[in-house]
Amino acid sequence: MENTDNKDLSSEAMEEALDKNVRLMSPGRMVMRRFFRSKLSIVGLVMIVALFVFCWIGPLIYTQWEAGEMDTTTDRMVYKTYEQTYTDGDETHTFYTVTERPVMLNNLAPPDSNHPLGTDNNGYDNLARLMQGGKISLVISFLSVFMITIFGVVFGGLAGYFGGIVDNVIMRVCDILTCLPGFPILLIVGTALMAWEEKGYLSGQYRIYFLMGFLTLISWAGTARLVRGQILTLREQEYMVAAEAMGYSTGRKIFKHLVPNVMPQLIVSMTLSLGSMILYEASLSFLGLGAPEKYAAWGTMINSGAKPELFLDYMNIWVPPGLCIITAVLGFNFIGDGLRDALDPKARR
Amino acid sequence: MLKYIIKRLLLSALILIGVSFLVYVLIRCMPTDYAEQKIASMNQNQAVSEEMKEQIYESYGLNDGIIDGYMNWLGKLCKFDLGNRFSNNRPVVSEIKDHMGISFIIAFIATVFEFMIAIPLGITAATHQYSIRDYVVTVFVMIGISLPSFFFGQVLQSIAPALGLPTAGFGNASTSNTGFAKLIEYVPYLLLPIFLVVVLSIGGRMRMTRTNMLEVMNSDYIRTARAKGLSERKVIYKHAFRNTLIPLVTSLAGLLPTLFSGAIITEQIFGLPGIGNIALAATLSGDIPFIMGYNMFLALLSILGVLFSDIMYAIVDPRVKLS
Repeated sequence: MENTDNKDLSSEAMEEALDKNVRLMSPGRMVMRRFFRSKLSIVGLVMIVALFVFCWIGPLIYTQWEAGEMDTTTDRMVYKTYEQTYTDGDETHTFYTVTERPVMLNNLAPPDSNHPLGTDNNGYDNLARLMQGGKISLVISFLSVFMITIFGVVFGGLAGYFGGIVDNVIMRVCDILTCLPGFPILLIVGTALMAWEEKGYLSGQYRIYFLMGFLTLISWAGTARLVRGQILTLREQEYMVAAEAMGYSTGRKIFKHLVPNVMPQLIVSMTLSLGSMILYEASLSFLGLGAPEKYAAWGTMINSGAKPELFLDYMNIWVPPGLCIITAVLGFNFIGDGLRDALDPKARR
Repeated sequence: MLKYIIKRLLLSALILIGVSFLVYVLIRCMPTDYAEQKIASMNQNQAVSEEMKEQIYESYGLNDGIIDGYMNWLGKLCKFDLGNRFSNNRPVVSEIKDHMGISFIIAFIATVFEFMIAIPLGITAATHQYSIRDYVVTVFVMIGISLPSFFFGQVLQSIAPALGLPTAGFGNASTSNTGFAKLIEYVPYLLLPIFLVVVLSIGGRMRMTRTNMLEVMNSDYIRTARAKGLSERKVIYKHAFRNTLIPLVTSLAGLLPTLFSGAIITEQIFGLPGIGNIALAATLSGDIPFIMGYNMFLALLSILGVLFSDIMYAIVDPRVKLS
């Protein structure tokens, strides 16, 4: 649209000129263009891609240690002094015995070329655990957001489309779910799962997956509300009347005509909740209810460095996972923010 | 309006019953309940006979089925009795009351600071949209939102000695100060937790102010105000900001749960005897009356919070009609 100065052209010529100068863009391309124009969204994208590369490609390059492997090779020695005093007449003799014993476990090692980030209290390599933990955190957050979206779209779609008693029942369930205090409830479920493990019904490795599965069961209410609200307004649009007149099936009307129009808002809320899922998972692991120590998650790593006698001297244990969590959450938040601006039909830039 | 409020309150009662049933079922699904732990600890000293086990279960009211147990709890609730805590046999209500004070103080002071810092930041970011200032403010508050509370708490703890502040705990039992001097003594223990809460919560409030402010700044009456030659200062603070106050005031009512519910992780890290920390300990040990009482307290707060903010909305914005 650069021909604003050709004011004296006849309308026909102007139309022709416009035609040549205007590039047709699909809505998708416009969104992409607006998204990439914002520097913050690019920064967010880079952060997330870097984390994915670190967690999935990293272990292929860094093969010296595995996440669940204890380092038992060390030439460090433990010295112990024993003191013995006895009195012989009026003379006091003190004997000191010093024993030298090799350390069986190379734990709390400082960062060096063998362990770039040192080892933790159990002799696990911190860098390998960082990669492993990232895999767990990212996979879990994507899985749970995916599940929440499915629940939300199905229930919200049903409520919005059918209305009446279906709507009433689903919305009352949503009311109850929104009033459930999320974190305390997860604590209860977490302790229950731990007790089940002690009885041997469950493996600790999968506890965090069950916990996050439960979290998805109680947190789809927000998404369902969003979808329902959108569908209530879309239902009245002309194209839906047309779809009705064409005699399409209900499923086709909901999933082919209504849901795609809800997608923009849905994508934004999904991206933003990816970050909060990572925070949830990390908090649970930090309280010892998430992944057990052998299967590192970022929260677990911070927890293992959180012991009062350790945390000041061994920052190499708990600072890197903390920075990773911040990077992940910040990245998702930047992308979500950028998407919100890009998908906003009223946006002018 | 009155009819609307009554209707909402009745609906809330139904919702609360639903919530309490769900929570109760979940708690009773925990395979280790408090009685079992008690028996295990007694077993170390002497053998526990079947009869004694039976008695212990009876005394904690755990040998009924889930439905019976729930009905029992509900019946007591109708007499405003939430039962006694298993661990120290004190009434749950007074336990909640005793530990709520410190959580409330932290949340209240943090909220005041949050509003005082976030609103001016939101306004400058909106009036200078897409400028360096907007980007810097946005990046900083986004980092604040993304900080995991336990990690940031630990960072604060590791710099606490350098600032001359205590890393954890609450109050010094060895001093004999009373009254006001005693209160002053508690201040250093609260500084870091309050700072933590403020940093984590500024982001949301600032983004909210910015979005609302942008929406108002693009409206027609702002253009009119500019067109008639008002100073930019007057346009922003007298015309635009007043209308951004609507959602801000509304959200004030929605703050009810955050003020009273306590921050579980913050209190746990800093070793504060607030309600969140007590609730964590109770949950881990399976203290059913306290868990039920605490969770219902939270649910009630969040229901009231939503109701108050709806009413507030109608009061602040005359265009909104409740129905």
